[in-house]
Amino acid sequence: MAEVKNESRAGGKRREWLAFLFVTAVVVPLLTIAVVGGYGFVVWMLQVFVLGPPGHGG
Amino acid sequence: MKIIATLWNTLKKPPVHISLGVIIIVSFVAGIVFWGGFNTAMEYTNTEEFCVSCHEMEDNVYQELQTTVHWSNRTGVRAICSDCHVPHNWTSKIARKMQASKEVWGAIFGTIDTPEKFEAKRLELAQHEWARFKANGSLECRSCHDYNSMDWDKMSDEARRFMEPAAERDQSCIDCHKGIAHKLPEQMGSEDPMLARLVREATSVSLDEGQRYYSAKSVDLFTDPELTQRAGVLQVATGVNIVDTQGDSVKLEIPAWRKEKGFGRVLYEDFGQNIGSAVLNKDIAQDDALIEVQETDVVDEMTGLPWGRVNVALWAEKGVYLENREALWETAGQTYRDACSVCHTEPAPEHFDANTWPAMFSGMVGFTNMSAGTQELVLKYLQMHSSDYAEGAH
Repeated sequence: MAEVKNESRAGGKRREWLAFLFVTAVVVPLLTIAVVGGYGFVVWMLQVFVLGPPGHGG
Repeated sequence: MKIIATLWNTLKKPPVHISLGVIIIVSFVAGIVFWGGFNTAMEYTNTEEFCVSCHEMEDNVYQELQTTVHWSNRTGVRAICSDCHVPHNWTSKIARKMQASKEVWGAIFGTIDTPEKFEAKRLELAQHEWARFKANGSLECRSCHDYNSMDWDKMSDEARRFMEPAAERDQSCIDCHKGIAHKLPEQMGSEDPMLARLVREATSVSLDEGQRYYSAKSVDLFTDPELTQRAGVLQVATGVNIVDTQGDSVKLEIPAWRKEKGFGRVLYEDFGQNIGSAVLNKDIAQDDALIEVQETDVVDEMTGLPWGRVNVALWAEKGVYLENREALWETAGQTYRDACSVCHTEPAPEHFDANTWPAMFSGMVGFTNMSAGTQELVLKYLQMHSSDYAEGAH
């Protein structure tokens, strides 16, 4: 029981660090870019179909 | 799938191996690095280096910019692509960056990868930018140029005459200042579509000998029916009598007045009026065999210059004459009103006399994008509808 726990403890540490770094360095930045890009795209499409070109001070 | 499940299982539990402090610090640093990187990337895509890395930009618009005041000037301030073409506020800027995906598409599929393709698209591309500048009141121009910072006393009188009323109306810069950083689309610089239509119409007008017709554009004049010996140029909207036809050529008789001082190269529409009809080469103007003098030494009281009435008979191409000038004047009048009313209320043609109009017109025409041919027609329209010719005018 203790051995299994030790083993999973070592693997758990590795997994935890990998998960942490993967999320902070890859997932969140990509999501942020996607959200910002998506926002820009939505605004662009609104400009094309609804709002017209960006207006004075808008 | 299994990896994602494992990852999810790890993430949903509180960490047991990494301390909260380490997580905070690493996340914070990662945030800084990301933000810095994001900004750097955004700034990089705003640099000129990035813009001209596409040869579409490098070969066309970038080269044109280098001949303008926005490239080099006495104050040493210079505009790069993004100063004018990328909105400065955040939301519009992000939207513009996304819009650039269309430019990436164009670069990959070669939408405008040759000068010919670019020229064909120039009008459309320019219209997009003009629409944008119109909508935002030329916001990007105003990052540098501000009506409130203009010192009217330091402007030339001519500039001030336009800038002050424009400032009062808070007019969008692009209304008048099109084509200042890049070439104007050819359609605007060279040919007026309405005028082109009249020239096309003229090709189907049948010419009867002995009848009076009017040139739909300026026409080269020759001494021989083979059209090899150049004699001069007949100006637009000039009345001519057809006296002979030979193949694709017609012999024109141009009734005109000219000044009997100098070589008499310029033919005018009427006595004492500087309304151009034709310009002859020097040797032609001196050739008594070609120029039939009707009246001579008629002195213009205003200038004291002697004028003479002449008939000049020369050959020219067929198919460029109309039966009357009404359609030409209509086109010219429309062009005059459209071009001038962009910046100011245009004076009625009969507000000035025929000899005042040329100076007025040449002082102003630089602000418009009329082609040389259109300018010639519009000036003649103004002169022929000036106070000298209009009924009941002052």
